[in-house]
Parts: sequence; C-alpha cells; structure tokens
Amino acid sequence: MLRLLSNLRLFQPVSLHNHQTVRWARKPRKPRWMPTAKSKMFKIPERIKYPEEENKEVLRLFNNYRTAMKSIKQYLTNRYNVQLQAKSDTEQLKKAFEEDFARCSSINDKWNEQIRKEREVRIAKELQEEIEFSKNRKAEVLRQRAEELEQAEEIVRKEKQAVASLITPEQLDEVIERAINNPVDYNFAIDLDGNRIYGRETMSADAVKAKQ
Amino acid sequence: MLVPSSGTGQYAALSAKIIRFVRHGCTNRPFFHIVVAERRREQFEPVIEQVGSYDPMPNERNEKLVSLNLERIAYWLGNGADCTKPVQELLGLSGFLPIHPLSYMAAWKNRQAAEAAVVEEKPEGDHK
Repeated sequence: MLRLLSNLRLFQPVSLHNHQTVRWARKPRKPRWMPTAKSKMFKIPERIKYPEEENKEVLRLFNNYRTAMKSIKQYLTNRYNVQLQAKSDTEQLKKAFEEDFARCSSINDKWNEQIRKEREVRIAKELQEEIEFSKNRKAEVLRQRAEELEQAEEIVRKEKQAVASLITPEQLDEVIERAINNPVDYNFAIDLDGNRIYGRETMSADAVKAKQ
Repeated sequence: MLVPSSGTGQYAALSAKIIRFVRHGCTNRPFFHIVVAERRREQFEPVIEQVGSYDPMPNERNEKLVSLNLERIAYWLGNGADCTKPVQELLGLSGFLPIHPLSYMAAWKNRQAAEAAVVEEKPEGDHK
C-alpha cells in the first residue's frame, strides 16, 4: 500500500521540501492565539480616499480592459478551443472513420478467407486421422474378444476333461467300498538325511495313488 | 518520483485552469516561472505546463527579463484558462493583451512621486 501511494506522488506537493515557510517564525511577533490588543480593539483605520477623477478614470480603464479581454477571449476560443474544433469537422471525422473501418474490414476478410482454407484442410486431416484411429480401435477390440473367447473355450475344454473323472451317484457305493478297503496313512518318520520312512502297515500316498 | 518544473501535462478535464507565477528563486532572489496550473492546486504542486519565466530583478543593463510562449498562452486562453493580475500586467506590457489598468495606475503613481521629488529638491522660493 505504501509503495502504491509513493507511486502516486504526482498528486502530492513534491516540491515542498524546497519550501520553508517563514510566516510567524520571527521572534518578536506575538503568538497567534493572542487576541487583538485592548488599545487597538476599537481602532478603525481611516479609509483611504482617492480623488473623484482618479476613481472615474480607474473605472473607465477597467471597463475598457474587461470589454477588450472579452472579445479577445472569444476570438481565441473560436480559434483554439478543442471542443469547438472537434464539433466543426464531425463529418470529416466520420468519413475518415468509415474509410479506416472499410480498410480494416477488407484486411480482416482476407485473413478470414485464408484461415478458412487452412481450417478446411485441417478438419479433413483430422477426420482422416479419426477414421484411422476408429478402425484400429475396432480391430483391437475384435482381437481382444477373440482372445477372450479362446480363453473361455480353453476353460470349458479343461472342465470337460475333469468331468470324466467325477464321481457319479451310481458309482458312489463302489468308490466308498474301495476307499474303506484301501486306507491311507499319511504319517511317516524322517531320518537325518531327510528320507521319508513310511510304516509297515501304512501305504505311502504315492502307492495309494498308484493303486487307485 | 520527481516532477519536471516544466509541467506534467496531466490535468482533470473539467477543472479550472489558470496562468500564474510559481516562485522558483531563493531567499532575497525572486524568480518566477509562468505556468498553466489547475486553480485549486497550490503554488509548489506539479503544474500542467510552463509557458514562460519572469526575472523581476533588473540585470546590469537594468532589464527585467520575461520569456513567454505566446502560442501556448493563446491556446490555453482559448481553452478557458484565466490569468492572475501580475500575469495579465506582463502580457499587457508585452503587447499580447491590452495594457492592464494596474499598469497605468502604477505608472501615474510613479510619475506623481517623481514630480513630488523634483518639487521637494528645489527650495520653496526658487521655482518660478
């Protein structure tokens, strides 16, 4: 804010630092808050009287001067006044403005035409690119779908293979019978070398699998 | 920012303009710029334009030098600027405006004083 204000010092009396007022600065003057002295309270200074002739002469001179100044001012106003001059050639200003406008307009039209051509070329190019992009995208989508279908069919195939080994209700009794007849014992001992040692009575999981 | 004493050229469009003195001397040595200023501005504030100068102390050839830019003064008078009385007197003496009544009054007072001095110099009974 301070900086802002300091930029606006144009509107402040900047030359005042060269200016020192000496009014009331002299010592013997009485303070300005003191009233009129009692002895001067009712003193009325005598009015200066000029001779009658002189008064008339001064009045005449001033009247002449004022009249002359009035006409001079009128002349100078007609000659130099900005507003009057501006008013006088309005038509010309308007004409000049219209000519200038027409010139600017023609230049603008030329630029618009040029830009229109550029724009058409650009739009055609962009359309082509867009078509290309969509084609690529379509191909990609189709490829992905085919892949997904492939994977799904793979899964189905595997499932179908698995179905062959499933236990059906008809087989159930037989399978239970077989499971009871072939007990599997998963317990085993292990020696220092890490070898698994299965029991005498139990069968290893591999053996069971092989048997099944 | 220091403002040139020759003027800033900036002013409010509708403000009253006046052609007047700005005292640019120092103590016991008056020197005046004749400037166009806005009337409400104080003496030492920035002015619109300087249109002349006035040195009221006579030089060795007993001349009080005045310079005036009469074209600009005419322009500003035509655009509604007023003059202070001292400036009007100077312009009158320069022949640009009619002579101001105050100049005539000063002249005849000086003349009367000179005549009185001449009369005083001569003894009472000496004159014809």
